[in-house]
Amino acid sequence: MNLWLLAPELSLFFTAVVVLLLGLASSRRGIVIGVSLLGVLVSFVFAAFLWSGTPQATFNGMLSVDQFAVFFKFIVLAALVLVILASADYDYKVEQVRAEYFTLILISAVGLMLLSSARELITIYVSLEMSSISLYVLAGFLRDRRSSEAGLKYLLLGSVASATLLYGMSFVYGLTGKTELGQIASAIQSLSLSGLLDNPALLLGLVLVAGGFGFKISSFPFQMWVPDVYEGAPTPITGYLSVASKAAGFAAVMRIFYDAFGAPSWLGQNWGLLFAGLSIATMTVGNIVATAQANIKRMMAYSSIAQAGYIMVGLAAVSMGQSVAPAARSALAFFLASYTLTNMGAFVAIIAFSNKTNSDLIVDYSGMGRRAPLLALGLTLCLVSLLGLPPTAGLIAKVYIFNAAVQQGLLWLVIVAVLNTVVSAYYYLRVVKLMWLGNPVSEEPVPSSAALRTALFLACAGILLLGIVPDLLVRLSETAGHSLL
Amino acid sequence: MTVGLQHYVVLSAILFSIGLYGTLGRRNAIVVLMGIELMLNAANISLVAFSRYLTPPALTGQVFALFVIVVAAAEAAVALAIIMTIYRNRRTIEVDKIDLMKW
Amino acid sequence: MLTQFGQIALFILVIVLFISALPIAAFIFRLIGLAPHKPTQVKTSTYESGMETVGKSWIQFNVRYYTYALIFVALDVTAILLYTWAVDLKSLGAAGLGVALVFIAILAVGYLYTWKKKFLEWK
Repeated sequence: MNLWLLAPELSLFFTAVVVLLLGLASSRRGIVIGVSLLGVLVSFVFAAFLWSGTPQATFNGMLSVDQFAVFFKFIVLAALVLVILASADYDYKVEQVRAEYFTLILISAVGLMLLSSARELITIYVSLEMSSISLYVLAGFLRDRRSSEAGLKYLLLGSVASATLLYGMSFVYGLTGKTELGQIASAIQSLSLSGLLDNPALLLGLVLVAGGFGFKISSFPFQMWVPDVYEGAPTPITGYLSVASKAAGFAAVMRIFYDAFGAPSWLGQNWGLLFAGLSIATMTVGNIVATAQANIKRMMAYSSIAQAGYIMVGLAAVSMGQSVAPAARSALAFFLASYTLTNMGAFVAIIAFSNKTNSDLIVDYSGMGRRAPLLALGLTLCLVSLLGLPPTAGLIAKVYIFNAAVQQGLLWLVIVAVLNTVVSAYYYLRVVKLMWLGNPVSEEPVPSSAALRTALFLACAGILLLGIVPDLLVRLSETAGHSLL
Repeated sequence: MTVGLQHYVVLSAILFSIGLYGTLGRRNAIVVLMGIELMLNAANISLVAFSRYLTPPALTGQVFALFVIVVAAAEAAVALAIIMTIYRNRRTIEVDKIDLMKW
Repeated sequence: MLTQFGQIALFILVIVLFISALPIAAFIFRLIGLAPHKPTQVKTSTYESGMETVGKSWIQFNVRYYTYALIFVALDVTAILLYTWAVDLKSLGAAGLGVALVFIAILAVGYLYTWKKKFLEWK
């Protein structure tokens, strides 16, 4: 039991407690945000130390600290910095309970970071719930009609999903007698089955676990909650939900399905095919419904469903065999990192606009290019990156993940994904066109706070940097992809 | 007839189905919540039964069930708080009347 | 593999047929007099063989009990987690005690919070 391996999570949790206690003494905005950012920095330093270590399991194999996990901890921390900065300006709606707001964000981040290294069913379940329960509260945090509705919908649907996941886990445990993913894999192999249908318990467990996590990553039949929750939740939380919780969810899905159900090879191909099919349905539904949206938060919700579809292309590629999985895993990690920066950036810009206009309707973005050129430029860059045009990180990420899938012989899946990208151009570029060519509703400039500008600048700088010199992150994600314990 | 593993598994399957019906078929948010609790407890029963019959003396499944109980309590607490906010806003907790946002 | 999935498809078909047959059967039974429809006051009452409630059963409890219930639940689940530590007290030793103390300290923060936020006072 080496507590140093848990230092990023422990320090972040300690920060959360300190922030909560500080909130009892004073609720000065600067102090709360400053302490939170300091805690994130400390956690980041610890995580950076872990990056250079050798991959190892700790707590009797419950957690694995490998570069893959640390990579996702970096993603969560990056999203955390952006969401804290984005909330700095937004939180005028939560004056009395500001410290609680940041405490909950930090605690949910701890849960997500644990989830990315968990390799044992109990740990996976507990860390998943640790993040989810905080996020349920955060979604309903404004306590007005919309926000509380978002909170209730997220809570009820999320709990059903986690109960389903749990029931599936109980069958996996019943079948193998183990909760540790590696031991589950060897127990399944020793059953020497010849097909999934030989063993109904395995089939049931696999399907229910896929369903439970499908909710978390907003995969096709479980995507109904996404637009409602994204629209009603406070906008910084929407951004946070769309990136951090999704990234950690994908990390956990990767680990469970690859570690526990990766062998024998027919089993891998079975769930690979499942995710390939879901991927097509997810991106198609997301893209087609997004074109019809009038509210930009709902549009971004459907766009994030579509992006989940692209990420699942990578998941399908991982399933296709031991020798090629690392490349696909690297692509998955890179895509999620670039998506985190891009989507958070877009939401920061949306917050800045709606602070002034008090509206999330797309028509109100008309002529923003003249009212707030820098903000509009930032949002344009983010949308272009989500679409996947040069010179942005989004292009590299898409090429990377599609390339990995083609190498696995999933050309048909990639063709569908590329066609989907073409459809998505319609709604991304519609906003861009409206901002730069539309007539402004009024000539008033849109002011924005220093915190929001910093967050947008960080995100955009990241997007451009990764788009022009992707090699920086590609090498990190290669290390992550090959390190899985 | 002795009660064996399969009886427990069938019991948990029935409980899970009743819970799922409660979450999908009922309109009162509190009843939906009770359905969710039933689903979690169904999973608990099957975990404990598997632990008792398949892997003695290891207690992994039972410890798992304890964690689930704790998590379920936290979830219920948060759920009731959110339902209270909903009630203050709208004077109703019928889930099909909470439809401000739909596509 | 395909034949196996074919069996599942057949099974689904049987389910659909069975479900659609039920209301039709009920209707036919009504027609031929196997299931006569003769409601009486006793038959339609809520508790056919139970006690009538005294007063209204839908009284509202004061919502302020809610916070106390929450605090109690926190205590309740603490006991559950501490129980797992207690059954193996000896072999866990000092390290186990340390972990349990940290756990209680975290919970104490929660109680400190409820106290400071005046949730313990009946206003």
